Amino acid sequence: MASHDPMARLKTFVVPTDGSPASMEAVAVACTLAKRNKGKVFVVHVIEVRRSLPLDADLSQEAARGEEILAQAEKVAEGQDFEVEGELLQAREAGHAVVDEAAERRADVLLVGMEAEGTFGGFQFGRLPQYALKNAPCRVWLWRSAAEGMS
Amino acid sequence: MRVIIMGCGRRGAALATMLDGEGHDVTVIDVDAAAFSFLPDSFAGTEIVGSGTDEDSLRRAGIEQADAFVSTTRGDNRNVMAAQMAKHIFNVARVITLVHDPIREEMYRSLGFRTVSPTRIIAESLREAILADDGGEATGAAAEAQTGSEG
Amino acid sequence: MYIIIVGGGKIGYFLARQLLEDQHEVLIVEQAADKAAQIAEDLGEIVMVGDGCEASTMERAGMARADMAIALTGDDADNLVVCQVAKHKFSVPFTIAMINNPKNERIFKMLGINATISSTSVILAHIEQELPSHPLIPLLTLKGGGLEIVELKIPPESQVVGKPIKQVLLPQKSLITLIIGADGQVRLPTSDTVIQVGDEVVAVTMLDSEESLRSALIGAPSVRAF
Repeated sequence: MASHDPMARLKTFVVPTDGSPASMEAVAVACTLAKRNKGKVFVVHVIEVRRSLPLDADLSQEAARGEEILAQAEKVAEGQDFEVEGELLQAREAGHAVVDEAAERRADVLLVGMEAEGTFGGFQFGRLPQYALKNAPCRVWLWRSAAEGMS
Repeated sequence: MRVIIMGCGRRGAALATMLDGEGHDVTVIDVDAAAFSFLPDSFAGTEIVGSGTDEDSLRRAGIEQADAFVSTTRGDNRNVMAAQMAKHIFNVARVITLVHDPIREEMYRSLGFRTVSPTRIIAESLREAILADDGGEATGAAAEAQTGSEG
Repeated sequence: MYIIIVGGGKIGYFLARQLLEDQHEVLIVEQAADKAAQIAEDLGEIVMVGDGCEASTMERAGMARADMAIALTGDDADNLVVCQVAKHKFSVPFTIAMINNPKNERIFKMLGINATISSTSVILAHIEQELPSHPLIPLLTLKGGGLEIVELKIPPESQVVGKPIKQVLLPQKSLITLIIGADGQVRLPTSDTVIQVGDEVVAVTMLDSEESLRSALIGAPSVRAF
């Protein structure tokens, strides 16, 4: 019975992305649900500005890369016949910016994609998911992609 | 020469012993009286318990008549503070200070201080040892290891 | 302004909080990760974990673009070095250091640290005020010009009791700016204002005229408390 579907009221999704495959999977998952529930997906890419620069510094290289990543996310959404809204942010710490964004958008879910294996092998629990789990006002879902070797 | 040495750890004590042996008038100042145990029984100089960054202690150590002041503690900041007091307040003619951090060493050198960086010296020694000519004599552990494997 | 505070103790915390309220950009550099986490929880991403004395840490902290560096660690030598590295390596225009040992004020000033704060000195000044020997309490040293603001309580035995200011022989470049009566009333004095017993006289004077000013207002030389 549709009224008992726990996912039904999940309409607004915020998905941070750093361009990694896992985060793109998260985008796809968010799109599936949002589409079904006639909701919205906000894809967020945060440029972390180091302290030696002012927060509003002009970082054209990073901005260009960010736009590329958001374009990639848009393509993923297209593949599901859905549209996402991309956000390029500059902040000292990505976790803070993403949680703030989720609060502002009154997100129902903050969906964080994580790789099963880090660069040096083995799982790495990054700063962003840690901060999000601790501080996000909304639901937080971790989408850890399948480990290598699993289909 | 009347020399005041701040810090009676291994380095300070070694220096004190050397200078004392050469007939100089040596005073060692350290916050911890137990540190003086690093000095040999034959040490003919003066031992003062006190802080090299305290004006009164420095006076007790005879800084007003000193020809040279050397700060040898493990703490870069204490060393440079004492050196600056020796130079600017007491106008000691020769002031030498140990600064471990290469960046701070460079800075204080550019401010007109005679600095010695143990870090730099050790790194250079090790580097020379590593790059030593193969045709030359292998010393110590390396030589022993070689003979061992051929034996 | 971009202000970097080295040392995340209570003073640093409250200072940062106030500066943030005043819309400045603030960064606290704190060595202990747990303290840093605590601060971050309350004030947000304005903390960095690291040794503020290390030039590399300062670099990461953006010291090169800081308008002010404030050293609040518990160690005078560390505070001195923080300010010196900020000044000489990163050209920070204004440095402030906390000093625990009041006697270190001299070397800090000699080395160009713009402002030094010694709570020990402040407390001592308050204690001195209560002592019968009546030394002159320095309140504030003014930038440039070698001037300072001092405060002095007029004892009963003072030779200027009952005299108008115009009859008091003050040293050069000294000016009585305010008189706080024993009743707590604040007067802006004119040359006709009469000095009474128990008046707290606030004056501007040259740093090396302290003793002359004291003699002019009290008479007998005092034994300084320290």
